[in-house]
Amino acid sequence: MTTGALIFAVNNGATDYAAMAAWNANNIERHLGIETNIVTDLKPTGSNTRHFSDLGHVTWHNLSRVDAYDLSPWDRTLLLDADYVVASDQLLPLLDADQDFLAHREAYDITGCNDFQGLNHFGEHAMPQWWATVIMFRRSTHAGLIFAAMRMVRDNWNHYRDLYKIRQTTYRNDHALSIALLVCDGHALDHAAIPWNLATLTPEHALAETDQDRYRVDFVNGENQRRWITVSQDFHAMGKTQLEAIIANNT
Amino acid sequence: MPWARHSWRPSLPITHERGYVIPAIDRADTNYVECAGRLADSIRSWHPDANITIITRDDLPHGDQGGFANDWQCWHISPYRETIKLEADMLVTSAIDHWWPLLEHRDVVISQGARDFYGARTHCRRYRRIFDANHFPDVYNAITYWRVSRTAQQFWQLVRAIFGHWDQYRTLLKFAEDQPSTDVVYAMAAVIMGPERVTLPEGSGPMITHMKPHINPTHSDDWTQELTWETDPMRINTVAQWGVLHYHVKQWQPS
Repeated sequence: MTTGALIFAVNNGATDYAAMAAWNANNIERHLGIETNIVTDLKPTGSNTRHFSDLGHVTWHNLSRVDAYDLSPWDRTLLLDADYVVASDQLLPLLDADQDFLAHREAYDITGCNDFQGLNHFGEHAMPQWWATVIMFRRSTHAGLIFAAMRMVRDNWNHYRDLYKIRQTTYRNDHALSIALLVCDGHALDHAAIPWNLATLTPEHALAETDQDRYRVDFVNGENQRRWITVSQDFHAMGKTQLEAIIANNT
Repeated sequence: MPWARHSWRPSLPITHERGYVIPAIDRADTNYVECAGRLADSIRSWHPDANITIITRDDLPHGDQGGFANDWQCWHISPYRETIKLEADMLVTSAIDHWWPLLEHRDVVISQGARDFYGARTHCRRYRRIFDANHFPDVYNAITYWRVSRTAQQFWQLVRAIFGHWDQYRTLLKFAEDQPSTDVVYAMAAVIMGPERVTLPEGSGPMITHMKPHINPTHSDDWTQELTWETDPMRINTVAQWGVLHYHVKQWQPS
């Protein structure tokens, strides 16, 4: 069985996702010992605009993620967001898991400053959200159906927006994944999940690299006190500009 | 003891070993008989051979004592050696016959806790302030099991005594209601008897899906107008339901 990582990295005017993915591919090889395929030359399939607090409104080429199943050359694929920082070997157990499809059910703020209750749900009625940031899938009927269902959600986005009362017009892979898992699991919410939550760093905190695979996060806590922590685990860096600066320093 | 005068045997002969009892005493604003019929249909859709007794006003051996205060009469009416009493404004959305082997080891089991329509145990305490203030167990009378036994006799006679002498019992409580709810009376009876005698450990027994607002992320009182719902199979906002759905909106007319 072949195993590898897949990262979608379609640049926009604001972020060099390809550089981010290339840097991460190196991290993946060091920590997980697997190769990475980077999908870069996709024709954007329609425009999607999203507001990031550190970038403002940007065009976001995220609509092709549903093609991961068809594009992956691997039997077992680790599908990662370009801004997911691999700083350890913590994803290795996923490569041995006897599951067709795994994703994170919940994310949390690595600094503990923000309650992610809102981010872990979507729509007016707080539908539980699964995160598409890290996905492990095995070539299988089940995984193929999940990606087909994601495509169905993407292609009928306005219908699903209405159904789940999602105010934002922007299509998000996290929402499509959550709906697809629900559909494919008989409308039950008991899909197997990655057995730990997704560590996340929001853009308002300062991120700097102190050493290889060690990062310093400076933040202001709820009592308005300055604090910092050292991070030496994988995390989802929502602040693209800070991550880009770190990558530029490394190349 | 005030209940020592009473017989501990049910008034009616036992005709079946196990069955479901649904109290359905109509009120001016609510057709509980219709609700109970719908609940009975939903039980039969999963368990065609289930024994089901709907208790209407005419069946009450001690007459209509008004609203919730009739509840204790179920003990006298149930024709089953083992009974599961269900509140009328509920629907059974999946098989529930696994409850019997779970419950049969106890004399009385009052359900504890409630779920939202996503299946998650609710932590909402908005409707349970009196429970928290009085350190009551988080019981819901919506699902109550008993077998003919001395423990059940004590429980039901205590329930009767609390309803009948509420003006005295309420003095023991913080924030007591003017008219007791069945849940509060059951909780008080549970505390007097010892909660371990009439409940299972939390999370291990049957639990209702409660459709009250605040428990669920809805904005209005009437979830049936706000959320999409389908029947056969029962789904709310596309999420498949299981167990017992306490739909709360009594005017709801699912097909």
